[in-house]
Amino acid sequence: MSEFMQLDAKAPATLGAVVEAVTRLSTLGEAKILELVSAGKIAELFPFSAGGQQPIPTDTLAEEELVEASPSPLNRKEREALIQSSLPATSPKKYRPRTASKR
Amino acid sequence: MPRPFIRSAPSKVDKRRRVDIRMTHMAAGDALWWDTRLGSKHASMAARADRYWSWSVLLPLCHLVQRAKRRHCRPLVIWARTDSGRFLRVGMLIVIEAYPYLEIEHPAESHFVWFMSGADAGVLTTEFGMSNPPALGRVLLDSAIVLSQNAGLAGRIGLHAAAAGGEGLLAVYNRLGLIRLPGTAALPASVRRPNDGRFFYADEPVAEALAAALDVSR
Repeated sequence: MSEFMQLDAKAPATLGAVVEAVTRLSTLGEAKILELVSAGKIAELFPFSAGGQQPIPTDTLAEEELVEASPSPLNRKEREALIQSSLPATSPKKYRPRTASKR
Repeated sequence: MPRPFIRSAPSKVDKRRRVDIRMTHMAAGDALWWDTRLGSKHASMAARADRYWSWSVLLPLCHLVQRAKRRHCRPLVIWARTDSGRFLRVGMLIVIEAYPYLEIEHPAESHFVWFMSGADAGVLTTEFGMSNPPALGRVLLDSAIVLSQNAGLAGRIGLHAAAAGGEGLLAVYNRLGLIRLPGTAALPASVRRPNDGRFFYADEPVAEALAAALDVSR
């Protein structure tokens, strides 16, 4: 899956470690994962970093800056864009989530 | 014609007042903002089931884990208008699409509300200039019901109340009108977990009733 390439392969986990974690978590039910997350234990199982260099977005946006979500089912292209936007940019210039760039 | 999302909700402070609401898809920046600006404050609130949640981790995790299960996630951000007229993030929601319906006597698909959080109303007022923070429980559930209806799943949804939320969280979902799955009920085979009595769902009539009650706010 190409989205994995957005992960930093050096820190805090290798790409292989993340793949292994996803594979392991995929064997668990959603309620179990919810419990692990709520207990603050998910970092032990999913060694993913959001990246410390990302700028924090502003607190507020004007209404015209919001790109409202569609309540209808997404097509394949829209789904892919949504997944891509969930991963932090490795570099603000190199990668900007499409769904966020319009805001 | 798809049913739209809600565009206003009552204020928690003054139920007669309406607060403008908007929905966007959740991107990494939204998760980072929430973790940094709100999560740090929620972490000290022992009663919150989400006090340890890191949305920056949850967001990619949910997509990746569900992709591995051949399903998709719809992560949404709920925004509300502040006193300045601009919009602030006040709620977060991750829905799994086409999840097994919890009521196994009627095999079908539903949407599963995996993670949802509403910002603490006190924090919104004191830290972010929002005199009228919106009541978010119905907004969060309605978003999942609308997605389910528009996807052809008749509004069927399910969720699991995190154990960290205790009895209080069970009371919240009861009050919001969801049906509690009996603790003795079997779960769909692909839900790999014993039933701990903390699963809730909305069937078609309940979903439609909940959605219809909010149609004036769309």
